[in-house]
Amino acid sequence: MQIWDTAGQERFQSLGVAFYRGADCCVLMYDVNNAKSFEALENWRDEFLIQANPRDPDSFPFVVIGNKIDVEDSKRAVSTKRAQAFCASKGNLPYFETSAKEATGVEQAFEVVARNALQQEDAQDFSQEYSDAININLDSDSSSCAC
Amino acid sequence: MLLDISEVINDSIGEIECVERVVSPRFFDDTTESGFVLVDMDARADSSTKVQLLFSKSKVYVHPTSSAKDNIPGYLALVRPKNASNTEVLLSWVPESSLAGSRDLDYYVKVDLEPPHAADEIGPSTNASNSRNTSGIREVLVSPPPRSSISSYAFSIPLSNIYSIQVRPPSFGWWWGSLILHTKTEETLPALFFHDSESQSTILQRKQRTKDFEPFANGDELFWGGEQFLQSLKNLAALETSTLEPSIMLVNPEPEDRRAFSPRSAKVQQPKEDPISKALKDVRWSILEKLARVTRLSRQVALDVIDKSPQSVKVLLNKPEVKKIGDDFDSAKVYLAKWALGIAEEAQRSRSKVVWNDGYEDIMGSAVGDFELLSVDYSIERRNEVGLAEWSAFFDHTGRLSLTVSEVKERIFHGGLAPAVRSQAWLFLLGVFPWDSDESQRRSILSEKRNEYYRLKGKWWNDTERQDDDFWKDQKSRIEKDVHRTDRNISIFSDSDTPHPDPESRFAETGTNLHLEQLKDLLITYNEYNVNLGYVQGMSDLLSPLYVVFQDDAIAFWAFCGFMKRMERNFLRDQSGMRQQLLSLDHLVQLMLPKLYVHFEKADSTHFFFFFRMLLVWYKREFEWDDVLRLWEVLWTDYLSSQFHLFVALAILDKNKDEIMEHYTQFDEILKYMNELSMKIDLEDTLVRAEILFTRFKKTVDMVDRKRAEQNNEDAAGQQEGLPKISDELRLLLSKEVIETKEVERPPNAGGG
Ligand SMILES: Nc1nc2c(ncn2[C@@H]2O[C@H](COP(=O)(O)OP(=O)(O)OP(=O)(O)O)[C@@H](O)[C@H]2O)c(=O)[nH]1
Ligand SMILES: [Mg+2]
Repeated sequence: MQIWDTAGQERFQSLGVAFYRGADCCVLMYDVNNAKSFEALENWRDEFLIQANPRDPDSFPFVVIGNKIDVEDSKRAVSTKRAQAFCASKGNLPYFETSAKEATGVEQAFEVVARNALQQEDAQDFSQEYSDAININLDSDSSSCAC
Repeated sequence: MLLDISEVINDSIGEIECVERVVSPRFFDDTTESGFVLVDMDARADSSTKVQLLFSKSKVYVHPTSSAKDNIPGYLALVRPKNASNTEVLLSWVPESSLAGSRDLDYYVKVDLEPPHAADEIGPSTNASNSRNTSGIREVLVSPPPRSSISSYAFSIPLSNIYSIQVRPPSFGWWWGSLILHTKTEETLPALFFHDSESQSTILQRKQRTKDFEPFANGDELFWGGEQFLQSLKNLAALETSTLEPSIMLVNPEPEDRRAFSPRSAKVQQPKEDPISKALKDVRWSILEKLARVTRLSRQVALDVIDKSPQSVKVLLNKPEVKKIGDDFDSAKVYLAKWALGIAEEAQRSRSKVVWNDGYEDIMGSAVGDFELLSVDYSIERRNEVGLAEWSAFFDHTGRLSLTVSEVKERIFHGGLAPAVRSQAWLFLLGVFPWDSDESQRRSILSEKRNEYYRLKGKWWNDTERQDDDFWKDQKSRIEKDVHRTDRNISIFSDSDTPHPDPESRFAETGTNLHLEQLKDLLITYNEYNVNLGYVQGMSDLLSPLYVVFQDDAIAFWAFCGFMKRMERNFLRDQSGMRQQLLSLDHLVQLMLPKLYVHFEKADSTHFFFFFRMLLVWYKREFEWDDVLRLWEVLWTDYLSSQFHLFVALAILDKNKDEIMEHYTQFDEILKYMNELSMKIDLEDTLVRAEILFTRFKKTVDMVDRKRAEQNNEDAAGQQEGLPKISDELRLLLSKEVIETKEVERPPNAGGG
């Protein structure tokens, strides 16, 4: 299993084509103390689906993580409830809250990530002979771009 | 001198079979008899079968195949059988191997090193029977060379059978000078290649000429072994240059030949002149010029000169530095010779009427396919870094540069800078100081720039409205995030014991330090200064080394702005600049590492994204700190190309190509492999490799262009499938002009992303 981390700034997203394609699971992470980072999640998710172009976008496994929960409560900008509601609306995405700083919740989150990835990989193996025939490259990709 | 020669002769006296008479006026006083050595009466008895060695030239090669390892060294000789007239004199080529161990070898060596002095001295001897009393003439007798030998390529033919000689002086790309003999009997003889750089006698003579200040004594041609041979031959036969084809010399032409003044080319099947040689003829001037200019500068300068327009050699000869050609001359020649080895071999091939499309593969093969071979016998020297003393010596007492900019850049390109020099030299490299400024001008530039920076910084610092702007806040927090994760292992950035000035900052709890705060202010100022572009991730990586070197925020800012001029295209909103570079790299790999490229195609990796980070921040994350500083200053010189960083990429690929092709077949595997090279790349090796690759690339482009021009001339229909396309992207890689692309106007409401 490989875990890739992408560049944060939007203009580097065009690189995603190469990185997203073939992914078995996608982790969307935001800062619970930063509402903007939460609001950007939907965008990231859409972008991922466009570029990864998975066979079944609706059932592709995402995991959402709200990070930096160690920071004092007064700074909190996104409540757990709000995050959970968002995840529910996107097809019951698993949601975790973590602190990378204090290593809380990280393991649990990644366990689910790994399980989902393995499941997805199996499902894809099954349909390999079909997906192989689909030639996705930089050029043909633009036709599927919804933006 | 006299003693030396005597010793040599006496050493070989033991069983000498021939009558040896040495009176070389150069070494012996005419009045002395001491050079007169007479030996072994028995030997004289069978001297009837012996032939007189009139001329000998060492290291004349036959190249039986296109592979250098098959080259056969030998002696080119003119020998006179007993009582033979001039037209019966034999022109022979004898492989070294067949002389090995024989006593004749000594004579070939000797005649080579001490050629008869004046023209008339090898003139026909009226009395061919070793007239030992003729003054000043050396007569050396040797066994008759073999007439012909299939196994050894040896041959020996009378001058009367030679119709013409095709002469190819050494030239750039073609390298070895060569002679091709066309016989009247249409016998095919191997082309003879003069490896002048290995031939002691040619080296000596060339040095002598240099000393006498007449390296181009024979007209405008550089002295070479073949020329020397022709001079000797002229004493035995009439040589006339064909007006139709100046490279052909007719030997003892008949009146009818002379009337036509052309070789019976059809009859002797003189091969159509191949495109390479034709194209290279034009280049001869530049090689002369190039070699002549190689003085105190390194060989790379020689290459550089190709670009410049030819100049009269006569003018060059008046330049004092040409007097210093001496040894540099030879080393440059060896360098270029090796460089062009693959081409010389191709020359042999095309002469044997191989059509270009076949031959092409060979050139490409030898020019690009066989890197390992090249890296062994081809050395590009990296030099010592420029220290403070050397740097100061570049300037005169007013602080004005007393070298040319290109000389300074060459020095930095090949050696880099000592740490103590950087805070000065980088300001030149980054355009803060004009190269032609003097000390006082630079002082005022510094104070102006310093004021200007504080003015720019003060502008946003005091602008509370600006600081309320969403874009501004977004950018500020992006900058702060990046600054806090940039080079924290470098001592001045490592602490975070200073309380954060802003309690609202996400780093309020973590703490900060003065230098991190400076970096932040610098980047915010840049964000305001270059509004359209703004701050983009990666810039903090580019700033931090400058800040550390200058240890002065205002100066670091302007140096950074200078750096950013060339780096701006890396950060454009539409990523077009990065795409362009990845595309150039794509073309470069296609041309230079074709096998690897095929592998990448199979691995869906020809977008070269695994080079994204390396190109974006110029390998900042790939090399250790000190190496980054070195690499950047090398790249800033634009000495060979303003896009030398792409050759660095090519070098990294070249170094790792076997590993990649053997083990990694998927994009993600390759990406991982490339990412993991980080901190494991040897910079010096990479730079040498990159330079070699650049040189090969340039060579390849030249070659393809010439071939294409040739094909267009010969065949309008154009048989060009075999030639690779040299795209505009590739051509641009030969330019030293920095590519500066400005971001377009920031659209309203465009975020920092
Ligand atoms: N207090 C706290 N700080 C954190 C935590 N996780 C990350 N940070 C800090 O947040 C900053 C950004 O973290 P990164 O992991 O680099 O952020 P990112 O999302 O990868 O950013 P991009 O690479 O720009 O997309 C760093 O200064 C981290 O130290 C956490 O759990 N708690
Ligand atoms: Mg990150």
